[in-house]
Amino acid sequence: MRSLKRSMGKMLNESKLAEMRCEERELMTSNSQYIPEQKKKRVIAPILSLVIPGSGQMVLKKTWRGVTVFIVTLILSFLVQWGFSNFAIGEIAVGGLKTSWLWIPLALFWLWNVLDAYLLSIQKTAPPLLAFIFAAVVLYTIAWVVTDVNLDRLVTRFDAAKTVMTKVVNPDYIQVYKDGKFEVCGWNCIGDYLDAKIKGESVPHLRVSENVGDIFGRQGTVTATWWDKLFRGIRVGVRIPGFETGKLIETIAIGLMATIFSTILAIPVSFLAAHNIMSHVPGGKVVYYIVRTLLNVVRAVDTVVWGLLIIVWVGLGSFAGVIALTIHSIAALAKLYSEEIEHIDPGPVEAIEATGGNFLQVIRYAVIPQIIPSFLSYTLLRWDINMRSATVIGFVAGGGIGFFVLETIRIGGYQQYAAALWAVAVVIILVDMISSKWRNKILEDKPKAPDKTTWSRIRTWIYIILGLAVFTYCWNITGINPKNLFNPGVTFGRLLKDFVSLDLSQSVLAGVTKQMITTVMQALLATTLGALVAIPFSFLAAKNLTGKSKFSAWIYHITRSIFNILRSIEALLYVAIFVYWVGIGPFAGMLALAITTFALIGKLFSEAIENIDTGPIEAVNATGANKLQMIMYAVVPQIVPPFLSYLIYQWDINIRMATIIGFAGGGGIGLTLNSYFGSLQYHKAGTVVAMIVIVVALLDFTSAKIREKFV
Amino acid sequence: MLIVKDLVKTYPNGTQALKGVNFQVDDGEFLAVIGLSGSGKSTLLRCINRLIEPTSGTILWNDIDITAAKGKEIRMIRRQIGMVFQQFNLVKRSSVYNNVMSGRLGYVPTFPSLLQSFSREDRERAANNLAMVGLEDKAHVRADSLSGGQQQRVGIARALMQEPKIILADEPVASLDPVLAHSILKYLEQLNKERGITVLCSLHFLDLVHRYATRAIALKDGLVVFEGLPSEIDDAQFKEIYGQDAERIEIS
Ligand SMILES: Nc1ncnc2c1ncn2[C@@H]1O[C@H](COP(=O)(O)OP(=O)(O)OP(=O)(O)O)[C@@H](O)[C@H]1O
Ligand SMILES: [Mg+2]
Repeated sequence: MRSLKRSMGKMLNESKLAEMRCEERELMTSNSQYIPEQKKKRVIAPILSLVIPGSGQMVLKKTWRGVTVFIVTLILSFLVQWGFSNFAIGEIAVGGLKTSWLWIPLALFWLWNVLDAYLLSIQKTAPPLLAFIFAAVVLYTIAWVVTDVNLDRLVTRFDAAKTVMTKVVNPDYIQVYKDGKFEVCGWNCIGDYLDAKIKGESVPHLRVSENVGDIFGRQGTVTATWWDKLFRGIRVGVRIPGFETGKLIETIAIGLMATIFSTILAIPVSFLAAHNIMSHVPGGKVVYYIVRTLLNVVRAVDTVVWGLLIIVWVGLGSFAGVIALTIHSIAALAKLYSEEIEHIDPGPVEAIEATGGNFLQVIRYAVIPQIIPSFLSYTLLRWDINMRSATVIGFVAGGGIGFFVLETIRIGGYQQYAAALWAVAVVIILVDMISSKWRNKILEDKPKAPDKTTWSRIRTWIYIILGLAVFTYCWNITGINPKNLFNPGVTFGRLLKDFVSLDLSQSVLAGVTKQMITTVMQALLATTLGALVAIPFSFLAAKNLTGKSKFSAWIYHITRSIFNILRSIEALLYVAIFVYWVGIGPFAGMLALAITTFALIGKLFSEAIENIDTGPIEAVNATGANKLQMIMYAVVPQIVPPFLSYLIYQWDINIRMATIIGFAGGGGIGLTLNSYFGSLQYHKAGTVVAMIVIVVALLDFTSAKIREKFV
Repeated sequence: MLIVKDLVKTYPNGTQALKGVNFQVDDGEFLAVIGLSGSGKSTLLRCINRLIEPTSGTILWNDIDITAAKGKEIRMIRRQIGMVFQQFNLVKRSSVYNNVMSGRLGYVPTFPSLLQSFSREDRERAANNLAMVGLEDKAHVRADSLSGGQQQRVGIARALMQEPKIILADEPVASLDPVLAHSILKYLEQLNKERGITVLCSLHFLDLVHRYATRAIALKDGLVVFEGLPSEIDDAQFKEIYGQDAERIEIS
């Protein structure tokens, strides 16, 4: 809201400036030299733009506009040509010559740019909406083809969808003995059983299925640890009876350990990446830029991709998962932390410096107390994110529920898969709730009365002991073994060597480019589709619109719950459902991405609607406007900026997700990466990783710029 | 004695905040620094304890060249010069006690101080200084739960922890109600009179200058345009300092 006001203020200033410039011009028309100069530009700018798009705008000192037009034209032309030669996109025959009709919207875009240059020279602008439409036609047509969208398959294979959905809503938790063997007992079966039980009829034999043991854990044998040695005198490494942890527990442990490690490691790094700190240290500027760049590169590579690299280092298992999550999480946290450090109140820093305190004392007394709440809340946020990543890291690293899901999909056990999905949903929803509740409490940052009673001390100790116990337990079940870090796998050396000498041959580059474009297009379509569907639903999930009467409160709760349940599962886990429905490939991956987009965007949009200021609505109503006018003038202007910013945010997420969606059969660059790694072709795998880093970093940069300009 | 000679400060963006300032302050004076907003008062005060690097000129304090000091020397000088800020500059989330204690950092060894471990002497000193500003019962509440006037008193207690010979006060009362302004300035006056601490204080209101200062200098566009007793500021001087359109107003 505040940024909106600020930008409006800016607009006002700019219009005033423009006015002033006009006056200036009128004054200057008396100056004989001025007219030819102006006229010359009026002719030259459009001509320049006709030859090199954007150059006319640049000559007229609209550098940003010019550069954008130039780059967009370049990208669109490349895409049209590329799409035509690879997929024959938009093929038409013109007098025996085969070409693509997509050159038409591109030509229109080009013309728009010429018109824009002319209009700019007479202090007007061409409507940007037109340019958007021309560009969108090109982009979406290509996206449609490369992501292999087949709407008819959604319909013709609807039976498959019904089958898989039936399986998904009847997860394998309980089994019934029937015709000499056990089979899954779904909701109907459980209903019948309860019914019979109540009526006192004979009931079939039920049992908890093996699957539950796999997911949650079961009584079995475990390997003795130093813990058992300490308390029970059993030698470390001996198999003893105990609780075998299930894959879900392992997942929770992975997420927790990664959060703890990454927080500890991110704190020192964040100081190195904070401008206001490093400018006080000799040579700090250089360190600052290096660390910042490094953080961006590390963050651009998704956790799952890190997993691929790490398993070469320490081998398959939960430990690899912990490391992969930790690495990505250090980069993400350090960036957020360092921004927080950069935004502290400089007053106390000045005050402590004025007392003669040294650098360390300034940090201890003026910086640290200020950053504690925001650091804690970012850590909690990251815990939530890490838990979600932990559910999928097993797809490559071999630990946690992701590994289990991969196995069930491989054998076509969709009901076992569903059991895992529902379990994950419950855990993630809980984590989400706990994390956001704590975050709110921390950010309120209410001054507490100092609590020095004996009970509070005892409580603190209980927390510390409990925390240590959980930590040790998680350490054990995730198989953390620092020794493995110094004992890398046999091919790790080769991987490092190959990664500095990438395979940049024509054929590899062409293949990687193709998959990368597919990936970006998947993200584009998924974001568009997900958001379009989410918009109407988000109005239903806004408390200020639907929370009023009893009936609409139901609608509110149901939509909210749908968002929350769908949001708790990572896109990678959804892919299997769509693969069953529409077949392996980018279309399935795109649909899976669209589901998570729908859920997250729906939630964010509905919150944006809940947060609108009622003041303007009252004001517009007071003028006697009707409902539609009220929405147009009081509601829409308030929700467009947050909607845009959430869309960009979602787009950033989707790009990253799209790079890994291929690991589950969802097409795109993930597939290529996985197969290069699988066949130990590290030269080529390195090329893919480099491509991902470059593209993700560039798109991140672009969206940051767009956010600055428009939101 | 503090002697400021030809002090020039040009900010990196080219703003000339000080253009050759000359004056001196005897020990035990209460010097008011007045001038319009942007005339360079804050810049001048911050040059004296080197929070801002002067571009050229010298500041001599009892034969120590403050402008020539480096690294550790600067900190040794700073710890003898207390500073009080317009925005109080307390660490809001820390307790009043910790804020006061932080005034002692220049004197204590680094490592124990990082663990918040202070000698008994220093803890008593903190208790005494809090008592001096009348906040002994607030020691363990968070700084942001105090009112503005109370926060500024914490700021004074923090400066007192340094056992300063000079206190630099940059508009210490500009964020406070007029009534509170007097209470804060009375503390400074008391320190000046009873402990002989030299006070350099920038102020906005002339009647506060008349009431508390023993001498005044006025800055305009980075130059000293008046130096003398507060009572010598007549209407002509006033217009010279504040411009033709200014009106004299009184606060109670
Ligand atoms: N960090 C800085 N960078 C550039 N210019 C600065 C900076 N700090 C202050 N200035 C400029 O230097 C001049 C003097 O500023 P200074 O803050 O010393 O004035 P002041 O008398 O304290 O004003 P006020 O009463 O508003 O606090 C002003 O023109 C100001 O804009
Ligand atoms: Mg100032």
